[in-house]
Amino acid sequence: MTYKTDEIWEDKWVNTTCGVCYCGCGAKVRVVNGVPVKIEGIKESTMGGTGSGLCGKGAAGLMYYHDPNRIKKPLLRTNPEKGIGVDPKWKEIEWDEALDMIATKMKKIMEDDPNKILFTNQTMRASDGPHNHPYFYAQAYGVKNNGNFIIGGGSLHCGNACHMLGGLIHGAWSIAPDWRYTKYVLKWGSSKGTGSGHSAMTNARLRADAIRRGIKEIVFDPMGNFAGGKATEWLAILPGTDAAVGLAIANYIVNIRGEMDELYLKAKTNFVYLIKDDGTYMRHEKSDKPLVYDTKDGKVKEYDDTSAAWEDLALDGEYEYNGETVRPCFVPFKEHLKQFTVEWAADISTVPAAKILEVAKGWVDNAQIGSTITIEGKTFPYRPVSSVTFRGSQGHTNGIHQVAAIDLMAQLVGAEDVPGGTLGWPAIRRAYPGGHYEQTCTVGTDGVIVPSVFYSHDPWPVHAPSYPATNMGCVDVWTHCTLSHIPYVNEVDYIHEKLGMTSKPEMIFGISANFVISNSDWDVAVKNFKDCFVVQMDLWVNETDQAIGDLILPDVSYLEKDCWSSEIDAFFFSGSPSFEDWYVHLQQPVAKPIGESRFFMDVYIDVANRVGVLDKFNAKLNDYYGIKDPELQIKPGEVLDWKQIGERVLKWVYGDDKEKIEKQGYATWHKPIEDVYWRWNIDSRCPVYMEYLIHDRRNMEKIFEETGFDYKKLEMDMDQYTPLPSWFWPESHKDLDNEFDLLAFSYRDILHTNNTTFQNPYVDEVSQMCPYTFTITLNTTMAKEKGFKDGDIIWIENKFGVKEKGIVKTMEAQSPKVIGIAGQGGLWADGRPVAKGKGSNFCKLLPSKLKYFDPVAGNMETAVAVKIYKA
Amino acid sequence: MPRWGMVIDVKRCIACWGCTIACKEEHFLPPGVFFNRVLIGESGKFPTSSKLIYPVLCNHCSDAACVEACPTGATYVREDGIVAIDDEKCVGCRACMVSCPYQQRTYYDENVKTREYFPGQGKTEMEIIGEKLYPFKLGTVIKCNFCSERLEDGMKKGLTPGKDEDASPACVNICPVGARIFGDLDDPNSEINRLIMEKKGKQLRKEFGTEPAVYYID
Amino acid sequence: MNDKHQDLVETMFPSDGSGIKPYEWMISPTRQRQWIDDKGIFLWLAFFFSEIGAGLYFMSLFYSFRPGIVLGWLITLVLGGLIHMLYLGNPKRAWRMIMKPNTSELSRGIWIIGVFAVLGFLQIITPGGFNMVFNFIMGILCLLIISHGFATMNVVRALPAWNSTIVLPLSIISGIWVGHQLLQLMFAISGNAAAASGMEVWAATFFLAYFLCMLLYAWGTWHSSGAAKASIQRMLEGDLKQITYIGVGVLAILVPLVFTLIMWGGDTNGFLIFLRLASVCAGDLAIRYLIMKSAVYNPLI
Ligand code: SF4
Ligand code: SF4
Ligand code: SF4
Repeated sequence: MTYKTDEIWEDKWVNTTCGVCYCGCGAKVRVVNGVPVKIEGIKESTMGGTGSGLCGKGAAGLMYYHDPNRIKKPLLRTNPEKGIGVDPKWKEIEWDEALDMIATKMKKIMEDDPNKILFTNQTMRASDGPHNHPYFYAQAYGVKNNGNFIIGGGSLHCGNACHMLGGLIHGAWSIAPDWRYTKYVLKWGSSKGTGSGHSAMTNARLRADAIRRGIKEIVFDPMGNFAGGKATEWLAILPGTDAAVGLAIANYIVNIRGEMDELYLKAKTNFVYLIKDDGTYMRHEKSDKPLVYDTKDGKVKEYDDTSAAWEDLALDGEYEYNGETVRPCFVPFKEHLKQFTVEWAADISTVPAAKILEVAKGWVDNAQIGSTITIEGKTFPYRPVSSVTFRGSQGHTNGIHQVAAIDLMAQLVGAEDVPGGTLGWPAIRRAYPGGHYEQTCTVGTDGVIVPSVFYSHDPWPVHAPSYPATNMGCVDVWTHCTLSHIPYVNEVDYIHEKLGMTSKPEMIFGISANFVISNSDWDVAVKNFKDCFVVQMDLWVNETDQAIGDLILPDVSYLEKDCWSSEIDAFFFSGSPSFEDWYVHLQQPVAKPIGESRFFMDVYIDVANRVGVLDKFNAKLNDYYGIKDPELQIKPGEVLDWKQIGERVLKWVYGDDKEKIEKQGYATWHKPIEDVYWRWNIDSRCPVYMEYLIHDRRNMEKIFEETGFDYKKLEMDMDQYTPLPSWFWPESHKDLDNEFDLLAFSYRDILHTNNTTFQNPYVDEVSQMCPYTFTITLNTTMAKEKGFKDGDIIWIENKFGVKEKGIVKTMEAQSPKVIGIAGQGGLWADGRPVAKGKGSNFCKLLPSKLKYFDPVAGNMETAVAVKIYKA
Repeated sequence: MPRWGMVIDVKRCIACWGCTIACKEEHFLPPGVFFNRVLIGESGKFPTSSKLIYPVLCNHCSDAACVEACPTGATYVREDGIVAIDDEKCVGCRACMVSCPYQQRTYYDENVKTREYFPGQGKTEMEIIGEKLYPFKLGTVIKCNFCSERLEDGMKKGLTPGKDEDASPACVNICPVGARIFGDLDDPNSEINRLIMEKKGKQLRKEFGTEPAVYYID
Repeated sequence: MNDKHQDLVETMFPSDGSGIKPYEWMISPTRQRQWIDDKGIFLWLAFFFSEIGAGLYFMSLFYSFRPGIVLGWLITLVLGGLIHMLYLGNPKRAWRMIMKPNTSELSRGIWIIGVFAVLGFLQIITPGGFNMVFNFIMGILCLLIISHGFATMNVVRALPAWNSTIVLPLSIISGIWVGHQLLQLMFAISGNAAAASGMEVWAATFFLAYFLCMLLYAWGTWHSSGAAKASIQRMLEGDLKQITYIGVGVLAILVPLVFTLIMWGGDTNGFLIFLRLASVCAGDLAIRYLIMKSAVYNPLI
């Protein structure tokens, strides 16, 4: 057993970016005699795990290159019939023919209405960047808003509500604990630091150090597996009930304990804004700005009036303004919280009241309200408590309130974007020394932060709901959806008809999305999309391609991709949230493309050129990177491929260091401490009191009335448009009865990224060695009572007769009222034989009706009432 | 002479299987063969049950059961503590495999050799080159070697195992949470000895008396 | 669509229970496979043949019965040895197995077989070979060979079911018992009915001793450790129970008992002796199979 070194004529490591999940850890690939044989992380980089650490699926990424099932030539459907279980009868065609076909089709549609073309983003296959480009690529075609996006990857199970509030509060896409300084972390349906979430391995590394330092980590989760299994304490909770516990803790802080960070509340939240009886802001008659009451001067002032010191702003009381009675919105807020007792929360969530109390107490005790810390010579408030959430808790019809409640407890003790607290993802990015491309947040209307970069649409300022709707997603009406849910709902035709949406989609131009099986009810997805001409760029023929795809173009995997842009704009998506230096990696090819596969950016350019919109796209690129140097700008009429564009953009972004950076595969530069806790130093306020929702509700109800859109019939709960984080039962709980007595939920397994990793034989092999990855988990005692044992094959069936098969595996660490399914298994595409038949598909069990989506943020109810029985 | 050993910090480990997979790549292991695994279990009862995660690999025991059982001397303890197998000597009697209380050995036979990662679709370029670069002998027993070739190459370049990645085992490098710490057990000042002392490092199944060089801390 | 769940179930939850659930590997008691599954089955046969050959040789010494030692020698070396070779991964290197007699039981076994082969051959060709010294040495060698298989297994501390002290007496008794039977049959066939009949009182004794050893083994193993108990459990309740009840209960115990009672007091008969022998051999194979198949490793966590 040893290396035969005499057989080696080439042996090199190539620095690139991992493309197996969306985190984009720095990775290097060993290539021997032209064959990629090994992947490790990049030790110097903070993007990723300890040292040259990568997670298992990242290490297994080689198989993306070696998989013989990759498509190598464009495939055209010859069977006009579409659907699940129908053979598409693929025919290989030439690239030229394929691209002509696309261009011809697009031109024809565009003569009529470009909004009839849908695009997909591509989080499905990873941080396989570029990130934001599909959005403005679509704009080059004249597509409006973000409503023409069908979501890939994490699908709507991902974070609409999280992103919305992440943006409004932190100016960031997501949140993480400040691992370096925190002492007490609460995780709600989130696996940050223990597997998934953004910057997964960066977080895992930071968390491991924190745990070794002795922090306490308390996890609320239906199962004690990835997050719960590693927690200091795991508390079993029913899916979708986190808000109840969060609100009870908030009530404890405000009304029982009465210890809050008042200065923070006065300085950094909108709690001091004066509201009228109807709950809306009292605004200044001229400037239209919200008002506050200065107790020192005894005067009502504009919120940003510098003559009022923070500590003097009123949090309570009743005042007069222009003859109207006004009061700080904290007053009703405080009153409102009183109803949320610990016992009440325990009843709903199944977390024992004593435990909730213990956590609440621990939270306030550890918050060290009033303390400060000096780092790198700069002094900040020190609040070593952090409350974070992601997919799990927000994936419910009450998602927005779940996230708001979890955020609220951090607001009350001032543990937001300060050392030890909850940090937004890097929301700003400084320019590389000697280069360009700097992104910082600004302060928008009402003192709310406007993020620098955001996917699809910005959370602030938010446009007022309007009609007619102009795109499939109807984001004109649902203004808070990061990505819209409307394309998937069964009632889509009714919605479109009523809201005057005339751009009925005719074509999808997608990147490896698997939206048919990764969102909700498969049949509804097929029904909603099958009439489109579906073009996808993909590595394999996946389930969506097989069911409704018309033309599949072979894409390159991240190992063959020359993607200079992969991380430049993704600082807010995958950077280290801590005060570690900036790292931006390139994705460099380690091998030649397989077959005739082509990088989708080059295909994008080719198609745009054929359609005649390339100049527009190029102009958007110039704009996006802010290229001012005329030498470097892409000029009208120029046709450059992605690599050539990179030559210019990199020069602009990195200046003279471009070559050096290309050579080493990444750029790094110092991040000073004030860029980490940047929010403390800018004058912005978190809209904890969600006043905007009152206006949204009014506008929407008006639209619904005018258009005859019967939202009540569709059971869309408009009451959720309330400014106060409140308790609403998630739709799944309402469906529980004697027959459908279990809540099915899904969770992310550290080994899997959506469904692509199911096709990786390395991952497949170890998944079979995991007790829970390919199985359906039941609480041991519950299983026994119901007569199930390990290895039984069961059906899980929802109220609408949709069922899925799976294999039982019992575990103690799971709430007895739920069943758990990992990832997006239950695959059947012939193009992915390794994946076929592995695991079970949770998504299909989710009903695709409007009432099962959060009426505000549009995220999907990701728990479902089911019954189980032996197959 | 150092005696190489490892500390595995189960508190840090998140069961990502990076070690298992990186090891497979490093040694071009065929499907079903693992020099490194992650054991996932459970103890206790709901709601206070806890998840157990133990990454395991050959313990490079200084009093190894496998060495004792091997009739040919093919399995032996090297001066640096690594338990190695000389595939020129191994007769494939598998006495070592049966004897190892940790079940860390694999028999490399025709059945293993012919396995494909994409069954029925032929071997991939990686599998083919692997057989050339890192050949195993049919009818012999294989197992983890603490990546001794990496260690040796690295040390020749003046690098330190456990510190420099080019001189450290693949599983140590890949671990994203620093749960695997490699070093010299004979050096009282080494990081691993410090951890073993401070955190009361434990060997798995000490009662078999094989004196593992892999310690666990939590 | 597809229904590949069944395949996955077969991999992850093998229905016959004989396989190992991949996620339970070394988390629950995990079965020994190398020395019984697949090519490992050769080892089972090899151990058996060495044992009965040496048993026959051993018993023949008491009767100075040259055909007995010849046959015993041949069975041990040709059948036992050859099958051993088939088992090895690299039979061409088998000679290397003599390298580590100081630590490896297997290596010691090879030495013993070697010495047995040479001295046995000498005894066979030496007129008057049945002298005290030769007999004594060969007797010891035979006992060592009889117990060779089990001794090799016995030193495996990792498998508590093999590591039990009663394994050795059990194997010696069983070797002698089968050897005795073979010899008795040879006498019966060669027309020496008196000798055959005279041996019957020993048959009853050995049978009893054998039976007691089995009980002792089962009892002792059950009480020695969790993993050892799991082994016995697998024999009695698990997937191996049919082999236990038919192989051991009927073939190794019941049938020989019946025949022994029939032939009680020396009322022997070649045909009955043959039937009993066949049953005893099958029973012995079953016991060996069970012991090898049911051994489990202690979980690591
Ligand atoms: S966390 Fe994601 S990006 Fe990082 S190594 Fe794992 S798969 Fe790759
Ligand atoms: S773990 Fe097993 S194979 Fe490794 S040295 Fe110890 S006894 Fe030998
Ligand atoms: S690589 Fe590290 S974290 Fe991952 S399973 Fe192995 S030891 Fe655990």
